[in-house]
Amino acid sequence: MDVQQRIKEQVESHPVVLFMKGTPQFPQCGFSASVVEVLKACGVREVHTVNVLEDPEIRQGIKDYANWPTIPQLYVNGEFVGGADIVREMAQTGELQKMLEA
Amino acid sequence: MVTPEQVKSYIEQNLECAKIEVIGDGQHFEALIVSASFRGKSRVQRHQLVYAGLGKRMREEIHALSMMTLTPEEFEEQRA
Repeated sequence: MDVQQRIKEQVESHPVVLFMKGTPQFPQCGFSASVVEVLKACGVREVHTVNVLEDPEIRQGIKDYANWPTIPQLYVNGEFVGGADIVREMAQTGELQKMLEA
Repeated sequence: MVTPEQVKSYIEQNLECAKIEVIGDGQHFEALIVSASFRGKSRVQRHQLVYAGLGKRMREEIHALSMMTLTPEEFEEQRA
């Protein structure tokens, strides 16, 4: 299966998917850590996380998938939501919480 | 190493900015970008516009670019 197909399957088979550097317990980058914290603060219990540092193919492929050159990347219900800045802004305005409830 | 001034000029070359401020340490940057081109666009689309201008640099030279992207109207509102 090619990497774009693998990514598509991952984002479509879980409601909330976070591509990050490291794991929620041990994030390897401050931006990844901040998204994990925002999701926690929004009361999200089930996040499927993908550690891109363990999969170089996904690390590159995810940048093409959303036409987005940085990590972290958050997906909700198969849709790309944004990176750390956007996730934080959306949590501040309440948009993220609404999206997560839907 | 990339300077904040370089990042600023890369962005400006591809996007008409009413205001742009960039600070950073050579790898991590923060930018405030005000542009009429952002009108009618989602946050993701606005960031993609900026990223498109930065192209390969975003993958090779710049580790992270934290952005606040506003239209001139939104910027005025924030200042008010």
